[in-house]
Order: sequence, then structure tokens, then C-alpha cells
Amino acid sequence: MRMEKGKSTIIQQLIIAAMMIILMMGFGVLMLLQQGGVVDFGPAAFYQFLTIHGTGMIGGAVLAATAIMWYFLNKYVKLSLSVLKLNIVLFVLGVVMIIVGVFAFEFSGSWTFLYPLPAISSGAWGTAGALTYLIGLQLVGLGLLIVLLDAGRAIIQKYGSLGKGLGWDVITGKKREQDAPPAAVVASTMVVIVDTAALLSGTIVIFMNIIHVINPAFTFDPLLAKNLTFAFGHILANSTIYMAVIAVYEILSRSTGRPWKSNKAFLIAWTMSTLFTMIVYPHHLLQDTVMPTWALIVGQVLSFANGLPVLVITAYGALMIVYKSGIKWRMGSSLIFLSMFGWTAGVIPAILDSAIMVNHVMHNTKWVPGHFHMYMGLGVIAMLFGFMYYLVQNDQSIRPNQLDRFAFCLYTLSILGVSFSFLTSGAISTPRKFATHFEQWQAPAIFGGVSGIFLMIAIGIFIIYFIRYMVNRNKDFSVEKEIA
Amino acid sequence: MIQLIVWYATLLFIILLAVVFGWVAFSSKKKQDYAPIIKRWYKARSIYGVLLVVLMLVVTIYTLRELPFNEPSHVEGVEVIPVHVEAFQFGFELNMTEFSVGDTVEFNVTTKDVTHGFGVYDPDMVLVGQTQAMPEYTNTFYLTFDQPGTYQVLCLEYCGLAHHMMMTEMVVK
Repeated sequence: MRMEKGKSTIIQQLIIAAMMIILMMGFGVLMLLQQGGVVDFGPAAFYQFLTIHGTGMIGGAVLAATAIMWYFLNKYVKLSLSVLKLNIVLFVLGVVMIIVGVFAFEFSGSWTFLYPLPAISSGAWGTAGALTYLIGLQLVGLGLLIVLLDAGRAIIQKYGSLGKGLGWDVITGKKREQDAPPAAVVASTMVVIVDTAALLSGTIVIFMNIIHVINPAFTFDPLLAKNLTFAFGHILANSTIYMAVIAVYEILSRSTGRPWKSNKAFLIAWTMSTLFTMIVYPHHLLQDTVMPTWALIVGQVLSFANGLPVLVITAYGALMIVYKSGIKWRMGSSLIFLSMFGWTAGVIPAILDSAIMVNHVMHNTKWVPGHFHMYMGLGVIAMLFGFMYYLVQNDQSIRPNQLDRFAFCLYTLSILGVSFSFLTSGAISTPRKFATHFEQWQAPAIFGGVSGIFLMIAIGIFIIYFIRYMVNRNKDFSVEKEIA
Repeated sequence: MIQLIVWYATLLFIILLAVVFGWVAFSSKKKQDYAPIIKRWYKARSIYGVLLVVLMLVVTIYTLRELPFNEPSHVEGVEVIPVHVEAFQFGFELNMTEFSVGDTVEFNVTTKDVTHGFGVYDPDMVLVGQTQAMPEYTNTFYLTFDQPGTYQVLCLEYCGLAHHMMMTEMVVK
């Protein structure tokens, strides 16, 4: 029995991502426990953990989401496996450089590295740390870029253009609805467009920072740098869910035996998401009053509007497809369904915080990580593990057991615990990214830290399942070779 | 106050979502043809979509009536006190730190080095206003002090290893 093409690379990629994610959770737990006053390893280590936690979580999510997108898109268009493998090599190289930059050279400028912080550390880190970190980040971005370019090439080759990949010819009535591109192609096209824009912004700001670190006499506009940084960070982080949601379309559709068709409403929603995802990032700059007022108002209005495609189309579609479907719940489909709850639940605090008057008293409090821990932790990560369980459910000798089901419940409760600890902290005005907390802010941090420990146990059980699967798989291959 | 409203609204909507997802998961045990489900629930979606848009429009209009970076309407004819703030690693320089209850202050905030945050906490340690301190730019926002006591100013944008210690005080009598 041979694995389908690319599946083994996909599984390796997913396992690297999963290992990274659990390790980064460890840093997250340590930070929360320090904020809660339970442990004390000093501010220098705290901010190094902060930098590696943010970078590693986004990196791991991007790697996993890329695997999901590649796996399903490859069923409809011809993708290059070599490009996928090259991405993993560049990713690992980049991650090694980032680790060296953070832990050997003590770079702790946070993954949002706001210019001119990388060059002005007040003696905390030097040129080597900033350069190693920034170049490592650039390598990770480069790996993703080549995967996107390959995906864009394949979509254009089959469908004619990226516009057709988004189904614009169906929206305008030039083509029938039944001939619309599949959901996986539509979502992938969106990701190719938005992530290429994100990586372009990121590359510009990273290179500007690199030059500034080498020669501080070279300066550039801090407001432009901030715009580019958040265009990069916001789009990249958001796009992980748009890549991973392909697993929702494919897995729920197969598990229920019901089609998830790309109709006009669906295609319009994805075009809206493409546009909004690229232009709503000014909601990260609502407290920069030198921004044009219209840009800040647009930031609020479009952030509200950006919730519509998921709330009205994707989440609603997931509910409809499952409703009275007679679905046999397995680990894969359960996690995937849960991920849609996580996504939509995470959207709510985000939308509320994008109102300027709310943002004025909640921006950069722990409300912000509250929303994205729910969105990423209960959305993207549930999609990742749902996809992993789905991927191996039909061709393996190890079946998920009671322990996996226990891990599912533990995961749900503990990530909710982490997210609500952040939201509670935000509601009582606790600042984010603080190495220590005043006493009145410590209790939610301790609750979050303890929830995080349980979360790590649950994720550990998920990962052990896949390691057992891989070991068994390798044994099967050895036996097959001997027989042959 | 705003934080409390947002907190309860979030909790309410998330509980509502959990109930809907739970109900659908529970009802998934039964099996029914998909075609009538599509017909019925697409109609419901139209209503739900319109309601959501209307709700968002109402919230948008309500929340955009007054913006913290515009001079508040209630101070027309009243003198606004301009305060210059310069942030640096790791402190703040304010040209005025004592005020009276009812004073409306225009904070003009900039920085000597990297980006910082300028967050004002009332005597109960509730965040009541903030802006970013950005190199080469001056951000402005308005705040009316409505209770006496010591107000803390905290840096709300990560700026280096002593970020969490970057704070100062203002006294309102």
C-alpha cells in the first residue's frame, strides 16, 4: 500500500507544526505564571519568551495551514511537491535563525518589531540579534511566498486567471453556478492574493529595519513602517484561518455526504473577504490619531463588515451541512465542527474592539490576545488537528480511543479557559506584554497559566497519536519491503 | 463602563453561539434530506443576514458619534488644557501633572526614541484613555477628569526590557 503523493510530506509538515505549537504553548504558560507571580525568571527571559511565542505560534500556524491548503488544492490543480519540500527547508532554516537570534543573541523585540525598536534596544540586544532574527523571519516568508506563487501559477493554468479562481465569471453571470470553482480553489486563490500582498509589505519593512540596524543613519517614516508592519502581520495571521478553513469545507462535506457548493453568495463572500482582509489592518492603528480620520473610520466599518462573510456564510454553512445530517462523529469531524465555533466566537471580541471608542480603552490590554487566542487556539489549531485525524482515519491500524476523546474535551475546556482568562484581564484593563502584573491583575493570569498546562496535556495526547501512527506506518512499510 | 458593556456583550454572544452549535450538533443524530433543509434555512439566512447588517449599522453610527481624538462637544466654550507629553525608554515627561476635577485635557503625545503607548488609568486602575507615542509624530486625544485622586500613566506599547516599569502619575484634586 503506497501513500498518495505528498501525503507523507504533509504529515511531516503537520508534525513539525504541532511540535512547534506545543513548545510555544509552554512559553505561553511560563509567561502567564510569571505575570501571576507564581514564578520569576526576570523580564529579559520573559520578553525573549514573548518574542519566540508570537513568532513561533504564527510560524507554526502558517506551516500547518499551508499543508492543509496544499493537500486539498492539489486535488483540483497540479502543484509542485518540490516547492512544498523547499518551503519546509527554508522554514526550518528560518526558525533556527530566529531561535539563535532570540536565545543566543537575546533579541526580544517582539514579533511585531515596531520600527525603530530592533535598532534601539537600550542595550538589551545588539546588531547580531536583530539581524539574525529579521533574516530568519524573511526566510520563513520566502518559503511561504514560493508555495503561494506555485499555487497561483497552478490556479491560473487551470482556471485562466485569479479572478476566475475567485469565481468572478460566475458572479457576473458569464458562467453557470454549477461550473464554479470548488471551495478549496476559491479559498486558495484568496490566500494567494492576500498573502502575497502581506509578504510584500513584510519584506519591505523587514529590509528597511535591516538597513536601519546596520546603519542607523538610514531612517524611514515610522508611520509608514507601522502601516507596513501591521499590513504584514494582520493579513498573515488572518490568512491562516482562510487556508485552514478549506479543511472545514472538504471534511464536513465528506463526513455528512452533503455537497458544499460554491454558489454566488459563497463567491461574493470570498471576494469580500479578499478585499477586507487586505484593507482592515488600520484597526491596529486606531490609537494613532495622525492617521487620516477617514482611514480610521474605514478601519472600524470594514472590520465590522469583515465579520459578515464568516458569520453569515461559512459558519452558517457549517451549521446547515451538519444539521440533521446523521453524521457519524469522529475525531476529525468533531474538531473541525468545533473549529467553526472557535472562529466565530473569536470574531465577536475582535469586532467589538474594532470600534474606535472601545479600542480607546481596550487596545493593548489583554483583551486583544483574548480574542486571537480564541480565534487561533480554538479555530486554526482545531482545524489543524481535525485535519490530522481526518488524514489518517481511513488508512491506519491505530484507531482514536477514549484517551483521544478525553483530550478533545480537555482541549475545548482548557483553550476556553486560556481565552477567557485573557478576556477577563482585558475587561479589568490589564496591559498586555507586561513582564509583571500588579496584584489585582494576577488571578486571571494564574487561571490562564493553569488552563494552559491542561491545554498542553490535551495537545500532547493529539501529538502522541500521530507519532504512534507514523511509527506503525514505518513498520508497515518495512514489512512491505521485506515481502517484496 | 465601556469595558463592562463589551465584556457582557461578548459573553452573551458567545453563549448564544455555543447554544446554537450545541443544538445543531445534538440534532445531527437525525437524518433528513438536504434539499428541504437548504430551502428553509437559506430563507432564514436572509433574515439573519439583514438583522446582522442592521445591528452593525446601528452600533457603527452610535459609536462614531464622538471620537476620542476630536475635541468633545461638551467643552464648547470651556478652556481645554493642552499638555505636552514626551515618552522615552523608559519614562514620560509631562509639562503638567496636576489638574482639577472637571478639567478637560488635550494630550499631545510624542517620543524621543521608539514607539511607546500612553495609557491613562483612573484611581480605580481602569483604563480611561490612551494614544500611541510615535517618533516624529504627535498624537492627540482628549480626556475629562471626572474623579479626584492619583491617575497612573502606563506604557501600553512594548518598547524594551523595562516596558512594564515605564509609568508616571498625575494628580487630580
